[in-house]
Amino acid sequence: MKRNQRAAVLALLIRRMLSRGSWCGETHVQKATFFLQELMGVDLGFSFVLYRHGPFSFELRDELSLMQADDLISLQVRQPGYGPALVPTQFSDVYLERFPKTLGQHQASIEFIANELGGMNVAELERIATAFFIAERSDGTSVEDMAQELVGLKPHISIEDALQAFEDIERLKDRAKAHSL
Amino acid sequence: MTKLFHEIRDPIHVFVHLDLHEKKVLDSRAFQRLRQISQLALTYLLYPGATHKRFEHSLGVMELAGRVFEVITNPVNVTDEVRKLLPELGHLDGLSYWKHVLRMAALCHDVGHLPFSHAAEEQLLPSGWTHERLSRCLIESDEMKSIWKSMTPPLDPEHIVKLALGVRKASDLNFSRWERILAEVIVGDAFGVDRIDYLLRDSHHTGVAYGKFDHYRLIDELRILPTFSGSTEAALGIKQGGIYSAEALALARYYMFSQVYYHPIRLIYDRHLQDFLSSWLAEGSLLKEGVFSIELEDHLKMTDDEVNAAMRIAALDSKQPGHDPAKRIMTHNHFRVLYERNPQDAKVNSDPGGAVARAAAQEFGADSIRYSQPRLKNVASDYPVLARDGRIEPAISVSEMLSKLQPTSIDCVFVRPDHREKAEQWLLKNREQILSAAREQEDEDHETKPEGGGAGAANPKDAK
Repeated sequence: MKRNQRAAVLALLIRRMLSRGSWCGETHVQKATFFLQELMGVDLGFSFVLYRHGPFSFELRDELSLMQADDLISLQVRQPGYGPALVPTQFSDVYLERFPKTLGQHQASIEFIANELGGMNVAELERIATAFFIAERSDGTSVEDMAQELVGLKPHISIEDALQAFEDIERLKDRAKAHSL
Repeated sequence: MTKLFHEIRDPIHVFVHLDLHEKKVLDSRAFQRLRQISQLALTYLLYPGATHKRFEHSLGVMELAGRVFEVITNPVNVTDEVRKLLPELGHLDGLSYWKHVLRMAALCHDVGHLPFSHAAEEQLLPSGWTHERLSRCLIESDEMKSIWKSMTPPLDPEHIVKLALGVRKASDLNFSRWERILAEVIVGDAFGVDRIDYLLRDSHHTGVAYGKFDHYRLIDELRILPTFSGSTEAALGIKQGGIYSAEALALARYYMFSQVYYHPIRLIYDRHLQDFLSSWLAEGSLLKEGVFSIELEDHLKMTDDEVNAAMRIAALDSKQPGHDPAKRIMTHNHFRVLYERNPQDAKVNSDPGGAVARAAAQEFGADSIRYSQPRLKNVASDYPVLARDGRIEPAISVSEMLSKLQPTSIDCVFVRPDHREKAEQWLLKNREQILSAAREQEDEDHETKPEGGGAGAANPKDAK
């Protein structure tokens, strides 16, 4: 995918996340993009590592900066005490119209991710995204061991919540599979 | 009697202090080589004072890293909430160990740089290699390991690597929360001391005042803070009283990038240097691979001096590889700016420079056109601020100025000096048609790269 096509996909994802009630701070966008790429198979070319609040892509952070430079998104302070939200600009309306082919191809996946994740807060996103990251990179490890690994990485998550996270991602994968059929 | 501490005079920090182990690193081959690696490549052709080297920058980064460490680990500057997130802050022996690791990492963070620093790194290293990876190999080399082992307690080279490279460049390693914070002290986007030192130092040597800011106040107000109220993650942030110094740092970076690092003439000299190096490395040097060697012994032997000597020879002899770009650099006969991106063009076409470069290369020949598309990356204004009433606020909600500061895209197309007039008239006549025709291709699957003797390959990204 070319850089400008990728920007269009991200601009639409942000738009849809906002419309599903997401706060749409950088963490929300990072996790939503992570699932869009890793769960839905939309090849955006980002590599994710475990960083603050779970999977994080520095290339995506750069891309979001470029999108600001290109007047596709802007930062908005919506409530004291909370991080800034990423919101689409007026120009992004015009921009999205230039990419009917790319957006047509990925629209359903974007809608799915926005529906599933739009209502989640940072803590919930961190929990399931980190669980998904661990599960995708483990080779036949038991759920109990993966849950222990999650707690080791994120000590503020209880073992019960960690086990629940792995159940949640299995269900999410099933829904994604059904959605793709 | 053996001197236990050494002081080195420095134009930015007055004195840089080193202990015996740091002095050993200073005397190592890897570090001494930095005396011959320019901090700003060929920028001295525009700003004659910019002849400073990675050597003094690395010393400055170490000095600042030590100062920041003292501030952020001082018990009076640490809240209970942060102490819970980072229990390491309560272990005095551990803190002493980590201060050594941090200073060593700061000292070694640039040892992997190629001749002329960033100018040719992206094009002229084998795939998958960066200067950070070379730094890592050197930190883990036998020569350096013997220094780490000789310390009490011995330093773990992996710890030094993590702090010197950060999460992004050492993504195969697992970082603890504490290691992430310390890496941020060196390479962080917001308050990394690498950035603080290069802005101050480059500003001083270029004579450009934009890069100066009150770093004393800034460092004094740095704190480890939760990323937001109630967050389970910590980050390097600042007390509200330091926000004006933080604003000045952000502005310094903005101006230094737009006025010095991404100055169009500097960009074209980088391109000429890349052209010379790729010819020389392919045909003229002993290596004959077309890229820099990643063997540590070869790396240690290769500095700006070797390249400058070859460039002088090539400039005088038309049969030498890289004669044309070498001559252009030596005689200041660089390609001229044909097109610079502007916000209106970017609204019409998301890649205006690429579109102009492709069309110009078709019209005037690939060898007559060069293209540079560096990008100003994250403006780094998402750090936490400790407000006067104890709340944690995002920086952009505390600072009106930071909320307005946007990253800027830069696109430059250059043309051979003898085609300049004709090319300018051609562009005047065809500009709108070029931009709108190229827009039709935007949603196509294939990647269309600008032509022009590798014109599209020119993407120095971040000149620092």
